Amino acid sequence: MSEERNSVEAIKVAFETEFAKFSGIDLEAASLNEAELLLHEISELKILHTGKKSPIAGAMKLIGRIPPEERGSFGQFVQVVERGIVEAIGAVENGLRSRISLLKIELESLDVTIPGRRPRTGHLHPITILRQKIEDIFVSMGYAIEDDREIETDYYNFDALNIPEGHPARESQDTFYTTEGFALRSQTSTVQIRAMERRGVPLRILAPGRVFRRDTPDMTHTPMFHQLEGLCVDKGITMAHLKGTVTEWLKRMYGPDTVTRFRPSYFPFTEPSAEFDFSCFKCAGSGVFQGERCRPCKGSGWIELGGSGMVHPNVLRACGVDPTIYSGFAFGFGLERMTALMYSIDDIRHMFENDVRFLEQFS
Amino acid sequence: MDISYNWLRDLVETDLTADEVAAELTRVGLAVEGIHAHGCDLVFDIDLTSNRPDCLSHLGVAREIAVNQDLEIATGSSDAVADAAPNLVSIVHPELCYRFTARIIRNVKIGPSPQWLVDRLEAIGERSINNVADITNYVMHELGQPMHSFDLDKLTDNRIVVRRAKAGETIQTLDDVERKLDESMLVICDAEKPAAIGGIMGGLDSSITESTVNVLLEVAYFDRANIRSTSRKLNLATEASYRFERGVDIENLIRASNRAAKLTQELAGGTLGEFINVYPTKSTPKTVESPDISAAVQRLTGLTIETNECVRILSALGIMPVDRSQIPNLRSQIFVSPSWRHDIAIEEDLVEEIARHAGYENIAAELPPVFGAGEYQPNEPREKRLRRVLADMGFDEALSYSFIDTRHDEIFETVPNLVDSDLTEQFITLQDAVIDGAVRMRPSILPGLLDAVRLNLNHQRRDIKLFELGKVFAAAAGEDSPPKEQKLLAIALIGGEIRQNKAISERDLDFYDAKGSIEAALAAVSVDNVSFIPAVVRHLRQGQAARIQVDGRDVGSVGRLNDDLATTYKFRQSIFVAEIDLQTVLSIEQAPLAYRPLSIYPGIVRDISFVVGRNVSFDDIRDSVAEMNFALCRSTTYVDIYEGKGLAEGERSLTIRLEYRSDERTLVEQEVEDVHSQIVVGVGKKLGISYRV
Repeated sequence: MSEERNSVEAIKVAFETEFAKFSGIDLEAASLNEAELLLHEISELKILHTGKKSPIAGAMKLIGRIPPEERGSFGQFVQVVERGIVEAIGAVENGLRSRISLLKIELESLDVTIPGRRPRTGHLHPITILRQKIEDIFVSMGYAIEDDREIETDYYNFDALNIPEGHPARESQDTFYTTEGFALRSQTSTVQIRAMERRGVPLRILAPGRVFRRDTPDMTHTPMFHQLEGLCVDKGITMAHLKGTVTEWLKRMYGPDTVTRFRPSYFPFTEPSAEFDFSCFKCAGSGVFQGERCRPCKGSGWIELGGSGMVHPNVLRACGVDPTIYSGFAFGFGLERMTALMYSIDDIRHMFENDVRFLEQFS
Repeated sequence: MDISYNWLRDLVETDLTADEVAAELTRVGLAVEGIHAHGCDLVFDIDLTSNRPDCLSHLGVAREIAVNQDLEIATGSSDAVADAAPNLVSIVHPELCYRFTARIIRNVKIGPSPQWLVDRLEAIGERSINNVADITNYVMHELGQPMHSFDLDKLTDNRIVVRRAKAGETIQTLDDVERKLDESMLVICDAEKPAAIGGIMGGLDSSITESTVNVLLEVAYFDRANIRSTSRKLNLATEASYRFERGVDIENLIRASNRAAKLTQELAGGTLGEFINVYPTKSTPKTVESPDISAAVQRLTGLTIETNECVRILSALGIMPVDRSQIPNLRSQIFVSPSWRHDIAIEEDLVEEIARHAGYENIAAELPPVFGAGEYQPNEPREKRLRRVLADMGFDEALSYSFIDTRHDEIFETVPNLVDSDLTEQFITLQDAVIDGAVRMRPSILPGLLDAVRLNLNHQRRDIKLFELGKVFAAAAGEDSPPKEQKLLAIALIGGEIRQNKAISERDLDFYDAKGSIEAALAAVSVDNVSFIPAVVRHLRQGQAARIQVDGRDVGSVGRLNDDLATTYKFRQSIFVAEIDLQTVLSIEQAPLAYRPLSIYPGIVRDISFVVGRNVSFDDIRDSVAEMNFALCRSTTYVDIYEGKGLAEGERSLTIRLEYRSDERTLVEQEVEDVHSQIVVGVGKKLGISYRV
C-alpha cells in the first residue's frame, strides 16, 4: 500500500509546487490586472487539480489495489489530500474575487454631484405664464375666455365704446391705422362689444390679448403690449360686485391678506369709473421692505393696477342691451406692467426682445 | 397739474392740513401723486382725468374740497363794471366764437411783478415775465379762464374783428414762428390783419412789450372742436388751447376779466376804460332727468344714500335740482348742469358724482351671484399642451412685435392660403411706424424669431431654440373686408442639442431636429396624420426643405434657412426654421381614438437595406410596402441611413424594419420569409432599386 500512498503523496507535492506562487500572495497589494491574471491562473490550476479528470480523482481508483482492511484509511487519506487541494484553491479564488470586486467598486464609483442627464427645458414667456394663471382663476369663477380681431374698425375700437369722433382718446397719435383705414385695436375692450353681440347677455367674459399704441419704445412703453379685460353683465350687477370680483381675484393671486382700493377716475366706456389699486405684494402694504423703501409700490404700499367701472349705458345700447334692465362692470389692466411690477423689471422692452437670459428666469 | 395749498386756501377756508386735502382730493377722484414744498407753500401734483377741465384751476379744485366741508368759495364779482363800447368788437363767425369780452386798460406801466405773484406762479411751475403777462397767467390758474392781452396801440383802428382766417393769411405768433392759416381757423384781427389765433396763441406784432401803455384784455369762449382741429393742424398746443378744447366756463368770463382788471390796476397802475361783452351764441344749460336718483345710486353702486343727501352733494357741486315743489310727491328730478361742467349728461353721471363724494371706500365688496360654468377659448387646452411640449423639448417662448420691416416681404414665403396673390396689395401696411421701417403687419413670424436669434447670438448664446405662437396678417379680397388674421406657430433652432447644466452641447442640431419638434408639437395637439414633402420654399435651402401636410392639406414648411438669408443675419451655423398654420391645423377634425386589441401572438421583425439614389425616399419605400397590402406585414419603420464606404457616390443605404404578425396564430419562419422576400423584390422592382444582402 505504501506505493499507492507514495503516489498520492506525489500528487500532493506536485500540486503544492504549482500552488506555491499563490500561497504567499499579498491580496491587499494586488492591482486589478494582477488579481484578474491570478484569478485566471488559479482557475486553470483548479481545472487541472480538481474535478473528475484530475490526478487526485485518479488516485481514488487505486483503492482497488488496497487490501480491504486498509481501504478505509487510504480513502480518508485521499479525501484529506483532495480537500486540501480544493480548499487551498477555493481560498485563493475567493480572496481574488473579493479583491477584484472591491477594486471594481472603487473603479466604477461615480461623482454623483455631476449634473444628471436631463434635456434642457425651455421656458414659457412670462406674459403667457401670467395670462394662464389669471385665466384659471376667472374660469373657476364662471368666466368665459374670449379673444377676437387685432385689426379692427373704428366702430369697434371707438364708436361702440362711447368714444365718439373728436374725443381725445381717439386722436390718431395714440392709434395705429392701416393704409386701408383699419385701426390696430388700442384696447381689448373691442372684445367686450364683439362678445356681447355674439353671446348676448347675461355674460361673463375675460379677454386677454395684444393691443397697440403709437408709443415709441422706452423703459415703460412699448408700441405693442397685452391687456386683459373682464366684463360681467347681468341684472342687478353693481360696483359692489366689481369690487368683490377684483378683490377675490387679487387675493387668489397674491394671498388672502391682499386688500384693494378703488378711486374715482374717468374712462369713456364706464360710468361711474374707478381705478383700482391693491396692497403691495412685497411689503404687504407697509411701503417698507427690509428696512428700505419698497420698490414695486415706490413706498406707497399700493400697486396701481388698472381701470374699471360700470359699463356705460351707451356701450350696452351699442350691443343691443337695454341698460334699464341690465347693468355690468368691466375692468382691465396691462399684463406687461403687472409682470414688470411683480419681478421688478425696470425695462419693459425686455418683454419683446426674447433674450434667453431674460426668458429662462421664468417658469 | 400743480395746485398751491396756500392759493387754495385763499378760495376756500378749509381747516384741513395739506395731507388731509391730498387724501380728500384723491378720494374724490383728483389723484394727488405727490406733495412738495415751495418756500412756505405746499404744492399738490394732481393727475387730472380728461373729463374734468373744470378742475384745471384752483377754483375748480377748491369746489371739490368744499363739497363735504360745506364751505363757501370766495369768488370775485361777475358784474360788468364799465360801459359797453359797441364798436370795439365784432364777431363775424359766432359759431366759432360764442362769447367775447374786451376791456381797455390805459396808462399801464409794464414792469416786474411783485414777489407774492412771482412766488405763486413759481410754486406751480410757471415763470414770471412781466406784471401784465403774469396777471393773465395768474387768473387762468386761479379761475381756469385763459385770456390774452394786446397792445391796444398796435391794433389798427384800435378794434377787434373775430373771423375765420382768409386763405393764404399768415401770422407771426408769440413763439416767433410764421404760421400759415386757412379758412377753418379762427383769428382775432384788428381792422386789417390777424393779431392772434383765437384761443391758441397771440401774434408777436400786437403783443405786450416794455413800451406798451394801453392794453386790450381779451376774455372769450371758443368752439371746442374748432380749437382742437386748429391746434392739431398747426401742431401748436398751449395752456390756453388745452383748456379751450376741453371746455371752460362760458359764464365765468366777466369775473375773470374783472379779476385781471383789478390786479392790473393794483400792480401796473392802469385806469380802467371801456368794456364790451359780446355774447352771440348762448346755449341752454344742460339738464339731466333722473327718475329716482337714490335708486339709481343703489342700482349702480349698491350704496344706500337718501335722496336728500344725493341732492345735497349734487347741489354742492353746482348741479342744481329744478324746483319741483309743484309736484312734491314725485321722486323724479331734473338737474341742471353748471356752466363749468361739460361732462354731466346722463343719470349715470350724477351717480358717479354722488358715489365719489359719498366715497367708493364705502361700497361693499361682494361676488356676483353664481352664473354658468367658465370656459377657456376652444383651442386653449391644445395650445397649452403645445406650448408645454415645446418648452419641455428645450424651446423658449418668444413674443415679437406684430409689425416688421417691408424688406422681408419677398424673402420669406408665407404659409399656404394666407396671401391672396390675385390682390395688387397683398399685405397690411401701417400708415406710419414708431419703430424704424416697421410698417408691415407681419405675414410671417420668422423675421421676428430670426431677429431674436441674432440678439441671443450677440449675447454669446450658441445653442438656441425659440418658438412663438401668434397672429399674422394679410389683405383679404373684397372692398372693405377686414384683413385676414391667422394664428401660426413658428420655431427656430440653431447650434447643438443641449442638456440642463452642461456647458457644451451633445451634438449639432440638424433638419431632423426641426422636423421632430414639429412632429412632437403636432402630436401634442393630437394631430398625427402629418407628412413632409420635399419642396422648394423661398427662404429655405434646397434639398433641406419640406412642405408640411396635415390630412393632405398644406399647412406650412420646415427646413434649413438658405445661405443668402443666413449670410444676411450673419449666422455662421446652420439654422433651421418651421412655420405652420396652427389655426387651420387645429380646425381639422380628428378621428376619435380607436382602441386596438392587443395581439397575443409574437411578431417577427426583418431588417432590409436598399441602395437608393437621391430620387427615392423613405416614404416611397414605405408607401410601396403598404401598396402591396400583405396582411401579415404590420409596419415599416426607419432604422438608419448610411452613405460612404462601400457605396457609389450619390448612393445611400437605407435600412428599414418590417414587422410581421398574425392575430390568429404564431407565424413560422418560412411563411415570414416568403412574404418578406416578395416585399423586398416587389419594392425593388417598383422603385428600381437594389437591396443589400
